Amino acid sequence: MAEELKNEEMEELLEEEDSQKGKFMTFQTGKEFFGISISYVNEIIAMQPIAAIPEVDDYIKGLINLRGKIIPVIDVRVRFKMEPSEYTDRTCIIVIDVNSTMIGLIVEKIAEVDTIADDSIVPPPSLGRKEHEHNKYVYGLARTGDAVKLLLDPEKLIRQDEIEAVMEDIRKED
Amino acid sequence: MAEEFNTESMLDMFLYESGQLLEKLEGIILEKQDADCFDDSDINEIFRVMHTIKGSSGVLMYENITKVTHKLEDVFYYLRESHPDDVPHMELVEKVLAVSDFVTGELDKLKNGDTPDGDEHQLVEDLDEFLGRLKGEIKKQGIQMPQANKHEEPKQFYITPVAGDDSHFYRISIHYRSDTQMSNIRAYSATYALKEVAEDLLYTPDDILSNEASGDVILAEGFHMLLQTKSSKEEVIALIDSSEAEEINFDELTKGEYGKALAEFGRESEITIDLGEEAKPEEKDAKKKEQPKPGDYVVKTKEAGKGKTLAKNQPKQQSIISVNVEKMDALMDLIGELVIAEAVVLQNPDLKVPGLELSNFQKASGQLSKITTELQEVIMSMRMMPLTNVFQKMKRIVFDVSRKLDKDIELEVIGENTEVDKNIIEHITDPLMHLVRNSVDHGIEENAEDRTTLGKPAKGKITLEAKNEGGKVYISVKDDGKGLNKEKLYQKAMEKGLIDNKLISEFTDKEIFRFITLPGFSTKEEVTEYSGRGVGMDVVVKNIQSIGGRLDIESVEFEGSEMTLIIPLTLAIINGIVVQVGKSPFVIETASIKEFVRVGEDSLIHEPSGEEYIVLRGECYPFIRLNERYDLADSISNVEEGIVVVLEHEGSQVCVLIDKLLQEQEIVVKPIPPYVKKVKGLSGCTQLGDGSIALILDIAGLLIQDGERR
Repeated sequence: MAEELKNEEMEELLEEEDSQKGKFMTFQTGKEFFGISISYVNEIIAMQPIAAIPEVDDYIKGLINLRGKIIPVIDVRVRFKMEPSEYTDRTCIIVIDVNSTMIGLIVEKIAEVDTIADDSIVPPPSLGRKEHEHNKYVYGLARTGDAVKLLLDPEKLIRQDEIEAVMEDIRKED
Repeated sequence: MAEEFNTESMLDMFLYESGQLLEKLEGIILEKQDADCFDDSDINEIFRVMHTIKGSSGVLMYENITKVTHKLEDVFYYLRESHPDDVPHMELVEKVLAVSDFVTGELDKLKNGDTPDGDEHQLVEDLDEFLGRLKGEIKKQGIQMPQANKHEEPKQFYITPVAGDDSHFYRISIHYRSDTQMSNIRAYSATYALKEVAEDLLYTPDDILSNEASGDVILAEGFHMLLQTKSSKEEVIALIDSSEAEEINFDELTKGEYGKALAEFGRESEITIDLGEEAKPEEKDAKKKEQPKPGDYVVKTKEAGKGKTLAKNQPKQQSIISVNVEKMDALMDLIGELVIAEAVVLQNPDLKVPGLELSNFQKASGQLSKITTELQEVIMSMRMMPLTNVFQKMKRIVFDVSRKLDKDIELEVIGENTEVDKNIIEHITDPLMHLVRNSVDHGIEENAEDRTTLGKPAKGKITLEAKNEGGKVYISVKDDGKGLNKEKLYQKAMEKGLIDNKLISEFTDKEIFRFITLPGFSTKEEVTEYSGRGVGMDVVVKNIQSIGGRLDIESVEFEGSEMTLIIPLTLAIINGIVVQVGKSPFVIETASIKEFVRVGEDSLIHEPSGEEYIVLRGECYPFIRLNERYDLADSISNVEEGIVVVLEHEGSQVCVLIDKLLQEQEIVVKPIPPYVKKVKGLSGCTQLGDGSIALILDIAGLLIQDGERR
């Protein structure tokens, strides 16, 4: 917990700019760099013990206890259908808040907070392939320096449709 | 202050207060429904309730509510002042309930964010007509009619009635800006400031401290004071806090005018002051009572408008404050965290270093544990609420339904002070309502003759009882009606194809009674307005099960039925046993565990399909290996090494294989985040002492899943 990079620090940064717009938390998974709009990011915490839940999708790693709040964590690598890797001391959990759903993303390495101008974001080229499906949570590509970053849409990443399906179930049961 | 103003909080307050008042009102009405008339204190109370709702709805401009409550207030004003005999009590009760329903309906609309647009005309006319009749009767009896009710009946108290020759007389009217909050407190601070220089001070409305609604009156009509003082005009103006005032009218009066003004203010004893005489003793008493204490003064002037000032001055409401449930939940979460953090500190591995001198630490930590435990108990007790309100609603239902169906029914309520967790109260209200309706509708016989021929009193009786026993709450609805006919139930269930083709003798009584809780079962041929759509009892049972309770049905034909809800005292904390399978800890609710056994390989029965059973003392139980069910690595699969837990839920048993037992403890149940799809057999999760998370096994879910698999 001590090594927490709290949201506050980021907030300070943001206050100077007076806006979260155009700011992206970037992280590395495999060889790729990903970016996620900072407005979704609550905090970044070190890897911690995860309680596994049976019978769920493999990318849902389980539950963690974030200061009394129990939140699910998903492994971004597995979510992207990559081979899972060992967790190291660089492995972090980015806690995001998407429409009041708190979720932790396990990422291999946090890179930095980047400012990406709107006009440097291009939509991902579509080849019209079916297998393209797993890319749908990438909504744009951004070039910063010499690297290309894939910008993620967290709402798609955590699969809103799935949440809704679950909510539907709950409602029915009630 | 003005910036803080927002209609939402005012609306919330209005909804909350009016809701409370209406509940109180219904309480009074239903208590007295069988009496011949309301006594004076009831009439006063109803009058006061209507008056308050009228006032606050008026400020928020809900005209229909204002009109209706005003009319009813008129009726009760009349009753209060004239004490007419021959009041048609039942009709009056109905009128009051009709108004109460109307306002409740409008409040519901407001709660849902709609506009309260109910049509009040019919109701107002009815009340007018009713009042007219009352008055007509009185006229015939030749009793003088009282004056029509005025909105305010100004009554004042006064402060120092000694007028000297050099006294000045002023009439001061303060109009506050319409968005001023707590204008009554502001007005009060003005009177208090003036009191220092006043020889006599009179103001209206006079109930600024005891009646919160007076603030609304002040906003609407202004705050008027009559002041007799030796100070000059300038000095007086300086004393009045004009920060929120829109307009302050300041008239200097002559002594004569002052006397007249006093008369206008409606004080009977004004002449005595005019003549410079001493105050009457009772007025002095009044003054003493109402005079602020020095300690209050500081708070009021500096912090006028803060809630606590209000509470301080309202002895009646002092003992209760309403708190947002979210805040309570947050507090509860925090305390849960604290308990865990405490365990982390006290069981810290650093303390296990041999040779440490820890006696002082142990002492201090003992004290800490004591406090945290107490804290936990307090927060739990804060969530407990008596069933009084729920039972009140039931009284109303019995009243309504029995009148509608023309059945003579008496309702007895026992143990309404039984306390239950607030969450549970929310969950049981609807099921209980259903049970009560069923009892009135189906339970009690249609005709009184049917009862008398059986030797029962003509008046039906329904008993609503709550009691707290062994960590569970029992709420029973008992009627002395016709009871359940087993033969009929069986026939019906067969007809509807709800049960297997078995003989009636193969079912136990309880099983047959339980037919009525099957979806699609309704024995009543005709659907009535209140019950009999066949979607009732199964929903009741579902609702009750969702909070971990169950429904017990007892019945003797021709003697009556008893439906008992057995529910846990609280949802949030259960007594559980922590077990381990592989690396994962699981929690099993202690109440559902029958026993722990170690069994040999030889008591296992393997079916060719792969299913397994365990034979214990000649009984055969289904067997679930938790590690296989949930795919848990590194766990024990040899039955002889692990432990078998026998679990029971609603009469069916299942054996579960686990690795080892860890501990027994009280656990705080938390839901699994909805993002994770619901896993059958798991009902929630919790944090253990070391901060790690354990999943809570849901026995019912396990059984269902097991049944599906077979």
